Amino acid sequence: MVQKFSYNWLCEYLGEPAPAPSVIADLLTKHAFEVEGMEEHDGDTVIELKILPDRGSDCLCHRGLARELATLLNVPLKMDPLEAVVTLSETNEIKVSIEDFATCPRFTASIIRGVKVGPSPAWLVAQLQAIGVRSINNIVDATNYAMFALGEPTHAYDATKFPKTDGSYNFVVRKSNPGETVSLLAEGGKNEDRIVTLRGGELLIVDGTTNTAVGLAGVKGGRYAGVDSDTTDIIVEAAHFEPGLTRRTARGLGIVIDASKRFENEPAQTLPPLAQQYLVNLIISIAGGECVGMVDIHETIKTPQPVHVNPHRVCALLGVEIPKDEMVTILRRDGVMVIDEGEHLLCTGPHVRTDLNIEADFIEEIGRIYGYHHVVSVVPESVPLTEFNKKHIYAEHIRTSLVNQGFTEIITTTFRNQDEIGLQSSMASDKCFIRSELTSSLSDALTRNAPFTDLLGVSDTRLFEIGTVFTRHEGVVAEHISLALGVRLKTTGYSGKEDKILTEALASLAADLGVLLEWNITDAVAELNLTTLIETLPDLHQYDAVAKLPDVTYQPFSNYPSVTRDIAMWVGEGTDMRTVETLLRAEAGSLLVRLTHLDTFTKDGRTSLAFRLVFQSKEKTLETSEVDVHMSAVYDAVAKAGFEVR
Amino acid sequence: MSANNPTGHKHPMSQMIAQINEIFAELGFVFATGPEAETENYNFDRLNIKKDHPARDMQDTFWLRPSDVTEPTVLRTQTSPVQVRFMETHQAPMRMICPGKVFRNEATDATHEAQFHQLEGLYIDTGVHMGHLKGTIEYFFSKFFSGEVEVRFRPSFFPFVEPGIEVDMMLKSGESKLANRWIEVMGAGMIHPNVLRGAGIDPTKYSGFAFGVGIDRLAVMKYEIDDIRHIYSGDARFVNQF
Repeated sequence: MVQKFSYNWLCEYLGEPAPAPSVIADLLTKHAFEVEGMEEHDGDTVIELKILPDRGSDCLCHRGLARELATLLNVPLKMDPLEAVVTLSETNEIKVSIEDFATCPRFTASIIRGVKVGPSPAWLVAQLQAIGVRSINNIVDATNYAMFALGEPTHAYDATKFPKTDGSYNFVVRKSNPGETVSLLAEGGKNEDRIVTLRGGELLIVDGTTNTAVGLAGVKGGRYAGVDSDTTDIIVEAAHFEPGLTRRTARGLGIVIDASKRFENEPAQTLPPLAQQYLVNLIISIAGGECVGMVDIHETIKTPQPVHVNPHRVCALLGVEIPKDEMVTILRRDGVMVIDEGEHLLCTGPHVRTDLNIEADFIEEIGRIYGYHHVVSVVPESVPLTEFNKKHIYAEHIRTSLVNQGFTEIITTTFRNQDEIGLQSSMASDKCFIRSELTSSLSDALTRNAPFTDLLGVSDTRLFEIGTVFTRHEGVVAEHISLALGVRLKTTGYSGKEDKILTEALASLAADLGVLLEWNITDAVAELNLTTLIETLPDLHQYDAVAKLPDVTYQPFSNYPSVTRDIAMWVGEGTDMRTVETLLRAEAGSLLVRLTHLDTFTKDGRTSLAFRLVFQSKEKTLETSEVDVHMSAVYDAVAKAGFEVR
Repeated sequence: MSANNPTGHKHPMSQMIAQINEIFAELGFVFATGPEAETENYNFDRLNIKKDHPARDMQDTFWLRPSDVTEPTVLRTQTSPVQVRFMETHQAPMRMICPGKVFRNEATDATHEAQFHQLEGLYIDTGVHMGHLKGTIEYFFSKFFSGEVEVRFRPSFFPFVEPGIEVDMMLKSGESKLANRWIEVMGAGMIHPNVLRGAGIDPTKYSGFAFGVGIDRLAVMKYEIDDIRHIYSGDARFVNQF
């Protein structure tokens, strides 16, 4: 996931003087994350990073990335908001009922009374703007700031809009019933709220007093109890929701936003109270008010477990000799608690690192922080092949046989707009089915390629394809490799005269393979089941030598039609054909894309040479008159050279 | 064969796959193949890509209709399931490559196709380490690009490996556009112990590496192809250049 980071924001945690943005970018590239972009923004540098899926838990926020940088720079963080001790007092004004702790292992909420909703201070607006987040008001901005600071999404409700039962606000966290609706706050850029009808099973935050859904847990807050300009008392929520459930809900409803993306990456369960207190303090500092207290509801909190890491295995897997002491140093830089037990290192990851669970995870930490540039190349010693791919061997034999007979291989799309086997969802309407045969696409390809014979210097169009096709067999999908080849003589379609060429080609192929072949033939396109055929052929224990790959650079070709002109002339005996060709090329001009020698014969002491000239423009369809101009120059030059045009 | 009937052309993809096989066969890597319509189990679950995990976002998937299948089935998004099938049916030590067609349900443009070809490979033995991975990749690229190639590793993440790395390559000589600069080219890593265990291989005894690279991307690099959609256009004006 790509996330923008403000350099200035990172420096708040790293302290001054922090290394320059370019140094940071280089360090991250080598040891942590790919840098997607960097740009100046009002005295700040915005660094865009591709945060890897395993680090979405701790590094989709500035504190997390600053901590990573501190590890790489081997410095402590100057300021770490997660080092704070939670001192908010408990309140009994909020009651929380969690239906299933598996779906919501932790839920914290606090009340702030007497806030003044208004614009955010300039520093906050600027900081959010730098990372592409629009300022709304001080309360909403504070919740966003806390998320991009600590990686924990939070939400603020208008407390006065909740009725109380027995003097308490009542929160319920439960799954939705099928058909239940929730009115969600307008999404960015839209003015209308969105009323969503639920399928059932989505996790909801519910006002327990009225049994009304106030939000989709971990995804989006509801209109009910939304903060507006008159709000004075707020309830702040910071919780942990099960990542898979959050992901299914968000994707199911098409509401994938910053909050849901963070929850689905499993941020630490230790974060909610820390983020809660951080946000409360921030709100009070920019919007005033006083905190009444907090509730923190949870059962057992998942925390990193100690893992045995064997230093020999670290070296054995990385292929690098790293002394044990250095491993310990690296891990401690990374915030890992290490106990040296002699044979093993007992390692416990920092509480926000939900990705460090097995030995290999710690080996990766050591490897990337130590630096992969230390890895030295070792080519494995060669061993004999234990098996040979029969399909590949025979497919190669067939390719060779057909290429020798003038056939060109194509690979076409597996997708169709209609066929036997369908796809559930496709980005494009022409990709809703997968092919059951190659004949139709080969026939289409023959039609498309038939006009190119002069351009390519061939007398007819011969194509083949080897590819997988999918059919329904006893009700379920079955696949096999198919071979199809076809011939086309005319641009107007199958003429019947192709049959002879095809028959000869099929006979040649059968002779090369040494078997009888049974084909399905339609309009000079023949197809057979290659998987079945290969099964009947003898096993081979050798691959054919492969020709070196061609040393060519692809040349873009024109999609405009070409124009063909033939010329035949009498030349004196002993005239060098290359002289004639040079003359023709020189006069035909830059639109000439191919010059083919057609034939030579001698009669009565004179030699006849015939050539085909193919003209084509990269910019437009050529007019006959434009080609005529070049051809008359050719005729003039031929006459001037003393040759007689026939 | 008359002048009017010249030989045809083998598709550049087939040429490259044959070449790739030849290079890896020299080291003893077996050429394996597997189904293009693959079960969810082999395409994702056994590769340590859990349901409802963000890692699944890395690959937009074509799903077959439930009425045509007995268990959830996709057009494979990677050739890695061939690796899993190979591990399950072979005893360590093993070396294999599995070039083949894969599919992604995404919009197409000059650099993206809904179908393309991947080359994946693995090597499992006692004592296999990242140095072997580096050596094997350098060996392959040096032969494939006909010149000395150096590679470097950067941290990355793929669910079926740990550590996971991104590989950059640099052609150290020659005039081509590839020469003397780092180019991001493949994903790789040391096979995740869960994947080994799932295939019945003891991760405390064996280790292995796996890598994956888009062959289309190699073609674009080697031949400077401006639009990868040409590869599957069925257009002889393209194929005949190779």
